[in-house]
Amino acid sequence: MLENLSQEEQKVVNVIKTVIDPEVEINIVDLGLIYKVEINDNDKIIYVTMTLSARGCPVGDTIIKHVETVVEANWQDYKADVELVWEPEWTPEMITDEGKKFLNM
Amino acid sequence: MKAGLSTKNAPSPNVVLPHYVFGALAFIAASVMLFFASDDIVSLYIGPKVLGIVHVLVLGWITMIIYGALYQLIPVVMEVKLYSEILAYISFFTLGLGTILMAISFWYSYILLTILIEIGATLVIVSTFLFAINAIKSSLSSSQRGVEIRFIVTSVFWLLLTILLGIFIILNTSYSWIGKSNVELLKIHANFGIIGWFMMLVIGVASKLLPMFFIAHKLKIKYLHYSYYLSNLGLVAISIVYTFYPNEILLLLLYIVITLGIIFFIKYNYDAYKARLRKKLDIGLKLSVFSFILLFLTIIFGFISFLSPDFMGSFNIQFSIAYGISLILGFFTSLILGQMYKTLPFIVWLQKYQDKVGKYKIPMPADMYSVKLANAHYYTYVPAILSLIIAVFAKCSLLVQISAGLFLLTSVLYAYNTFMIVYHKDISKPL
Repeated sequence: MLENLSQEEQKVVNVIKTVIDPEVEINIVDLGLIYKVEINDNDKIIYVTMTLSARGCPVGDTIIKHVETVVEANWQDYKADVELVWEPEWTPEMITDEGKKFLNM
Repeated sequence: MKAGLSTKNAPSPNVVLPHYVFGALAFIAASVMLFFASDDIVSLYIGPKVLGIVHVLVLGWITMIIYGALYQLIPVVMEVKLYSEILAYISFFTLGLGTILMAISFWYSYILLTILIEIGATLVIVSTFLFAINAIKSSLSSSQRGVEIRFIVTSVFWLLLTILLGIFIILNTSYSWIGKSNVELLKIHANFGIIGWFMMLVIGVASKLLPMFFIAHKLKIKYLHYSYYLSNLGLVAISIVYTFYPNEILLLLLYIVITLGIIFFIKYNYDAYKARLRKKLDIGLKLSVFSFILLFLTIIFGFISFLSPDFMGSFNIQFSIAYGISLILGFFTSLILGQMYKTLPFIVWLQKYQDKVGKYKIPMPADMYSVKLANAHYYTYVPAILSLIIAVFAKCSLLVQISAGLFLLTSVLYAYNTFMIVYHKDISKPL
């Protein structure tokens, strides 16, 4: 999902990698939850489009807040705008190779 | 755009946590009572002590935890706020006090202390209505209409019917409104309670939670629809047959229909288990998976005790008791033991740390209890339940006491972890 990223956007992804899903205990980037990262330098906004592994996930809010916090902490002039989407629906195929290795898949 | 999120809907943990604490203490109490009731159990005497244990387990342990878990889960599953936290508080106190009064009076003789039973039962009934109002009112404001939610809402209706029929039976004993024997009515009452309320609730909640914890996708939801129609149809038909035409063969067929419904539920969750993301099960899921083995055992014992084949002779009573044990101390208990580890740490974790993620170094939910102790009580629980079932068939009082000892160990270790989570101190450090 994460394609055509600029160098700076890749850095954002790396920062989001510090956010761990508390149930699976792997980071949400390798879990495949992050769909899009886009930096708008004019408006100083970092857009993140992401999903969650299940609707009604009780820690969903916290994960999203976590993403906003770490992004804004590292790009202090920017605002993080995290959008939660349910389409396309997350599936285990979206887990990165790194994540699959961790999960012994 | 943030539909499907539920943290903002979560009730205050102060509403939910007391249920888990009371439940853990009730489980300890029931284990101690089991030790002192060993003679009654092996002599197959459903007397005051056994009734006392059953009420502590069914009301103080299972129902209490179900109330607490549902007050947390209704917002999660239905994506709404709980209708009323105050009603939830009152239902906690009335259920807790009612259970204690009923358990004490049953234990010491249910003839002398009838007034305590009446007060206790009234409190439990009040708490049931309050819980039902809360659950139904919340569901009405929800736009979610999944089959799991339908199971949960339907189970609350069956709970109301169970209670209403229970009250009717008590009054019918005094006023003889209808000429039906109370034994037949009690059978309907038990079916409503066990299949309609407990089983359907468990199907709804487990089918929502287990696939979420297994992180399993593309499951065949039609299995749950089949399960819903078969179990409800079977239960309605059974109550009609028991009331108007108690025919053994017809009843057997209807029990098979309900069992098919339960098997579809098992199949749905088995698929989730097979498709699970993490192959290694944590302790919460290990206990939950074990509960399904005990569910199979329950179904087998249930059928044998219903059929009461002649060649079993006096063993038929043992099968009835083994059915009750494998259902209450087996399936439900194992599922609660496991699901506590999948729910309670998250509830407390969110309370303590949701504003600190990304800013502080914080523990994971699984770091909030001792995994070693949880594993230890898995290994005390499995022999505890198996030895109790064997003790019933072997009529061995000593084995009941050994089992009670193992249950006591299980319950103390479980309670220790429960308290560790509930009283968890914030250990975050700035990054």
